[in-house]
Amino acid sequence: MKVTLAMKPATKGFIPIEAESIVPKNFLSDTDLSVWRGNRELRLDEAFEISVEGDADRPEDVEVVLSGETSRLKRVGEYMDGGKITILGGIGMHCGNFMSGGTIEIQGNADGWLGREMSGGTIVCRGDVADYCASGYRGGRKGMKGGKVEVFGRAGDFLAENLAGGTVIVHGDAGDMAGAELRGGTLIVHGNCSRPAANMKEGSCYVYGTARGMIPTFRKIGTVRHEGRTLIQFAGDLANRGKGNLFVKDYEYLD
Amino acid sequence: MIVKDAVCPFCGCLCDDIEIEVEEGRVVAVTNACELGTTKFMGEKRMKNPILRDGDEWKDITYDEAIRCAADMLLSAERPLLYGWSGTHGEAQCVGVHMAELIHGVIDNTSSVCHGPSILAIQEVGHPGCTLGVVKNRADLVIYWGSNPIDAHPRHLSRYTRYAEGFFLENAFRDRKVIVIDVRKTQTANVADEFVRIKPGGDYAVLSALRAIVQGKADMVPRTVAGVTKEQLIRVANLCKNAKFGAVYFGLGLTMTQGKYKNIRNAIELVSELSRHTKFTISAMRGHYNVYGSNEVNTWMTGYPYGIDFSRGIAFYNPGETTAVDILARKECDAALIVGSDPAAHFPRKCLEHLAEIPVVQLDPYPNATTAFCDVQIPVAVTGIDAEGTAYRMDGVPIRTRKVLSTDYLSDEEVLSRMYALMQEAREQ
Amino acid sequence: MTELLVKNACVIDPLQGINGEVMDIAILDGRIVEAVSDAAEVIDARGMLTMPGGVDSHTHICGTKVNFGRYMSPEDMRAGRTPRRGAMHATSGYSVPTTYGNSYRYSVMGYTTLLEGAMAPLEARHTHEEFTYTPLQDTMANTLFDGNWSILEAIRDGDTKRVAAIIAWTLKAVKGFGVKLTNPGGTEAWQWGKNVTCIRDPVPYFEVTPAEIIRSVVEANELLHLPHSVHLHCNNLGTPGNYTCTLGSFGLIPDLNPKRQTLYATHVQFHAYGGSGWKDFCSKSEPIANYVNMRPQLVIDMGQVMFGRTTTMTADGPMEFNLYRLHHDKWSNHDVELETGSGIIPVVYRRKNLVNSIMWAIGLELALLTKSPWQCLLTTDNPNGAPFVKYPEIAALLMSKRYRDAEFETIHPDTGSRVPLPAIERELDWYEIAVMTRAGGAKALGIQDLGKGHLAPGADADIAIYPLKIDEVDPSAEYQKVIDGLSRTEYTIKRGRIVARRGECLVHGSNATFWVAPKVSDDYDMGRDPDFIEKFDRYYTVRMRNYPVQEEYVNQSRCIVTEAEL
Repeated sequence: MKVTLAMKPATKGFIPIEAESIVPKNFLSDTDLSVWRGNRELRLDEAFEISVEGDADRPEDVEVVLSGETSRLKRVGEYMDGGKITILGGIGMHCGNFMSGGTIEIQGNADGWLGREMSGGTIVCRGDVADYCASGYRGGRKGMKGGKVEVFGRAGDFLAENLAGGTVIVHGDAGDMAGAELRGGTLIVHGNCSRPAANMKEGSCYVYGTARGMIPTFRKIGTVRHEGRTLIQFAGDLANRGKGNLFVKDYEYLD
Repeated sequence: MIVKDAVCPFCGCLCDDIEIEVEEGRVVAVTNACELGTTKFMGEKRMKNPILRDGDEWKDITYDEAIRCAADMLLSAERPLLYGWSGTHGEAQCVGVHMAELIHGVIDNTSSVCHGPSILAIQEVGHPGCTLGVVKNRADLVIYWGSNPIDAHPRHLSRYTRYAEGFFLENAFRDRKVIVIDVRKTQTANVADEFVRIKPGGDYAVLSALRAIVQGKADMVPRTVAGVTKEQLIRVANLCKNAKFGAVYFGLGLTMTQGKYKNIRNAIELVSELSRHTKFTISAMRGHYNVYGSNEVNTWMTGYPYGIDFSRGIAFYNPGETTAVDILARKECDAALIVGSDPAAHFPRKCLEHLAEIPVVQLDPYPNATTAFCDVQIPVAVTGIDAEGTAYRMDGVPIRTRKVLSTDYLSDEEVLSRMYALMQEAREQ
Repeated sequence: MTELLVKNACVIDPLQGINGEVMDIAILDGRIVEAVSDAAEVIDARGMLTMPGGVDSHTHICGTKVNFGRYMSPEDMRAGRTPRRGAMHATSGYSVPTTYGNSYRYSVMGYTTLLEGAMAPLEARHTHEEFTYTPLQDTMANTLFDGNWSILEAIRDGDTKRVAAIIAWTLKAVKGFGVKLTNPGGTEAWQWGKNVTCIRDPVPYFEVTPAEIIRSVVEANELLHLPHSVHLHCNNLGTPGNYTCTLGSFGLIPDLNPKRQTLYATHVQFHAYGGSGWKDFCSKSEPIANYVNMRPQLVIDMGQVMFGRTTTMTADGPMEFNLYRLHHDKWSNHDVELETGSGIIPVVYRRKNLVNSIMWAIGLELALLTKSPWQCLLTTDNPNGAPFVKYPEIAALLMSKRYRDAEFETIHPDTGSRVPLPAIERELDWYEIAVMTRAGGAKALGIQDLGKGHLAPGADADIAIYPLKIDEVDPSAEYQKVIDGLSRTEYTIKRGRIVARRGECLVHGSNATFWVAPKVSDDYDMGRDPDFIEKFDRYYTVRMRNYPVQEEYVNQSRCIVTEAEL
């Protein structure tokens, strides 16, 4: 089953729309769903032109395609456990929150908190992601626990903060504090980033570019070969009695 | 007439030993307050009555008209923003929360541009702190990090730290050591025993290094960290470990520097580490006299200290998304109520561009920068002068501000309660 | 004039000795009366279990450290949010709900009177503000004196009357209700990063021992004729082997009061530990309960631990720091100048953890081994042991051996060799549960004469009607029915108004706060004592004039004036 939701032009300026009802399994029953613009409830068909092709009886067989100006559409795919969501443009905050299965593909850029607290499934973003991609919630010890997030563009700050499991890959540069409080799972940044793996406890962080503002409390172990690259291995963050591993191609201290 | 032990409604020190001389319904003299407090008490040129924007001009209107206009404006909004709160009394802040809950809007206070990062850090690792009197009576080591109290909290040093008398310190001034850590040599640094200069952006690295040194891992720390020599870092760490009672006070120099809440978190974790060796505490130098109060009120009523979005009925908290600067910058609100604050004086230009486009109501005794953006401004009594109510000091101690003279102005709480009553009526229909 | 008639209520009212009698209850203007007119609104209780409204004699719901618990745990606050609905405001929170959350959840469970376990005098205003926003229960606060400098000095000088005078002045100033000692001496030592290890350990600088503090304050409390006894959180909370310290503390207490206990020891589960370390940790509930059984001057409460996540918060700063070192999670601390302290950390109690399993058993054992339910009240030291919404489960466990055994199967397998619980057959009955959750609390707090905890004519019409027919339910076998029944009243009536019905709160509420004002002679009025005044303004950072809690903070004041022997 393929459900196409073409976003209607915004009538109310830039007030974001919360659309946590847009998950594949909800379309198995029908399209009588609600979204919220600020404090106003809207029917799905007030916000989107809806067209449905085919049918399905499992979420795995449902694909939802979102088109139009969706960069302020929040919470799409929240608690998703199967099926596919494809977003042809950009997407708003909290896309794929608490996801445990299925696939989300974003052709454009993703706003903050992409894949927040996810425990399974796959998210692919062809564009850039804003801050807090694949991170946790305020006050929580553990962020993302499983699954995979792959970003082809750049990432903002606090990428994969509190990562506890799963894999996060960014092909471009990442911003400041990538992998802060890392405690499990794997973070890979192909480009450069600033202050990676700060306060890390466990887990692995790879930076295939330059780590600027390198945290001074990582102990240099030596060089290793990893997937065809020569990387420098550090253990730490010793300030936090951490036993994680940070691998970088290059690094600079702020000294 | 002289009023003794008045409470100063300016900064987070919330000094309550102020003497005010009142004559013919005006404050004519102020004793004990610093310049900032004195200026506040002696303030003149208050707005006389509520005003409504009429094209390019201002029209005088009645309180009832203004309150009704504000209520209507907020009720019809899809995403109203209620912002400010740190410059008013707690009783008013409580009404603000009820209001946001009723109209399904966002309520945020000035923490989001000030010590919000401190709160985020506390939410990650906790807050090992104490009241100011504990520091006054015991601390033999005080560290000001990214804070220049001589400038922003002028009496902090004399009431609570450097120059304060202490029960357990025979010769407080000599027995206490003060360390100032900052990116430049501030006035406070000039009265400190030790000054540590950090390269901008380097606070986090220095804090990590200090934590490692305190754990006994000095050997792995590089020779310099963010411009600070290892030698000085070791000296500071030892001063900390050998202190009988250490107190860290930090300000915007730490919260607003890159990494923001991560810097505070690292500082708190350093203090928790030091607590394994000796007694150490850390606290934030809150700016406004009742910003902590707005955090307290918001927390006991909604569960969260600032940036609370009631759009969906339940309280949702996510700084960076539900905070005023972000909402305004992204043009995500369609009406604003400003109470006890002057956002136009502090917010980025992008925010003000949107503020100019939406209906805005402000409650403030004086014309200010935000007035230019308002559709309606309602003058109110000044808490601590002609209105009284609860304020929370920077260390969480609640003190009731006093009314030193009477005027005809309504207090924030009175105006907001009337507004809220109108909203409840409207919603019931 | 409002009249209400509750018909066909199956009443259990231990303070009146009523045990399962079907009767009508007449209410006029918020009080129980003998009869009302035909114009009265009628509720038909249809034989349902009807008791006086619940009285929680020790819970942490309002004030600085409670709010710290909320503030630092957004992840706890988001787990339990409700929107504004009808008369109910929005609520948030799981283990430390917002004030409205606390009030509604307690009301739905039939509780109408709450004692806040710990209030620092300097920050009392904050507690009172939060009381105002806990509108469906009458409230009162235990006031902390464990690290109070003036009192420590007076004890050092052997001047018990001065101790009493300072307590009198302070209680009146901050509108406190009871005298609370938390880790006496330890909270002062903690302001140097130290602690006291037991009752003979002197406090740094002041050189008085916890034993001296306890004895002196107990005597002072009785000189003031306060309704409640001293309320003690013993030294050494949570440490393996601490039961000896607990017994030592209990042993200090003479029998000074014919109407009630001379000492109320709180959350004793945390103080009933044997062993010398975590490896041989075991239950010492038996010696503790045996001791209490022989001493009518003691009342304890359980402090039951239930499995799951919660937040610990107490004035016992050093204990919380040690707990933080064990759990490695976040930690907040807040020392209060010249007075006391506090610490807050989130914890998880796990069935797989042997120590936690033993703790769970100990609380139940204390209740089952203490012969008189009047001497062991039902609490969790909310939220330290568990959130209060678990009280019905605890009642069910105490009433059903079968339930206890079923739960025992799920906890750590080695627990049986460390605790006597499996061998205890006793099952409490409805009457005993009623004592432990209302009558006993009212008596221990000394508020039964103020109309709380019973349904005699003249009492406040605080009534809880539970959807349980006691002759149709066998609590020993049908424990789930007990839990469901006690979790949600058919009606909760507060001062004659129906405030909750089947899980919904119907009114905003307007509560009263109880506080004490002991009358002393001018010689003992600290407000005129030059030494007290001079030290106050010199060492506190708040002026003495600004310290007292103003009238504006107490919604409906119920001030209890006592005649002190000073």
